[in-house]
Amino acid sequence: MKEFRIDREPRGSVQLIRLSGSLDMYSFPRLEAQLNTLFEQGQYYVILDCRELDYIGSAGLGALIGFAKQAREHTGDVRLLNVPERIHKIIELLGFTKVLKVHSTEEDAVASFEPK
Amino acid sequence: MGESSKGIFVGCASDNRVYIRIVGRGTFQNSQPLRRFALEKIEQGQQEFIADLGQCQGMDSTFLGVLAGIGLRLRQNGSAATVHIVHIGPRNMELLQTLGLDRLFSTNSETSPPLAEPDYHQLPDTDLTRLTHPLAKDETTDLMIEAHDNLIRADERNAPRFRELARYLREAVERRHTHKEGGR
Repeated sequence: MKEFRIDREPRGSVQLIRLSGSLDMYSFPRLEAQLNTLFEQGQYYVILDCRELDYIGSAGLGALIGFAKQAREHTGDVRLLNVPERIHKIIELLGFTKVLKVHSTEEDAVASFEPK
Repeated sequence: MGESSKGIFVGCASDNRVYIRIVGRGTFQNSQPLRRFALEKIEQGQQEFIADLGQCQGMDSTFLGVLAGIGLRLRQNGSAATVHIVHIGPRNMELLQTLGLDRLFSTNSETSPPLAEPDYHQLPDTDLTRLTHPLAKDETTDLMIEAHDNLIRADERNAPRFRELARYLREAVERRHTHKEGGR
């Protein structure tokens, strides 16, 4: 099983977070701490790049909804990028695509935060 | 059981205990067959379950909630009835402790081994790499709600942990009911 990793790459005012490995109940607190730190710093524009993610648990997805809601209260959001098909199926099955925005390119995801 | 087989394997041994072996991951995608199997066995009067996590690579909260549901149901049947967790690694042990399930299950290593290896068979549709039919959305939502309720019943400190997920799932059920009533 691949070790869970978080790599943050700021893109201007947008925080791009690359995730790899398994995002389960064991590893989720690390992402939770990272998001809490960003929010404390007033960084509410967040993209989670899931290309290298091989698993996400139900509780982790539920918690992401909470973070997305929290970010939206500050005109930001938590959006997903490069979601592997097997994970996308889970997100769709649970109906989470209604509340979590999913993008397929980094440009598109970053641009989605720019004022129209 | 083939070397490469993953999924949930069950068996009943001559010592009258029910054995569950999780190979690979236990997730909301393969929890329902285990729930059905366990409830059937409890209805038949089985009081002791042994869950072998020696080959379990991880469990999500729904799967743990289903296991908790088995423990809670057994507890209603008397103090002797329980779920014993065996061959638990440090990572899965930490999960159980985080959710307070170590107090619901017996996790000591003194659980006696089976007198004879049970005749394991795989529960259908529990190998996540070979699911034969798509999960039903409504059934999955109901299962997740029940599983997370179980986790909260087992330890109320889980309530804030799963608040967002529980709220979202209940809203999904309300939307479903509204939609059905609107369609009449």
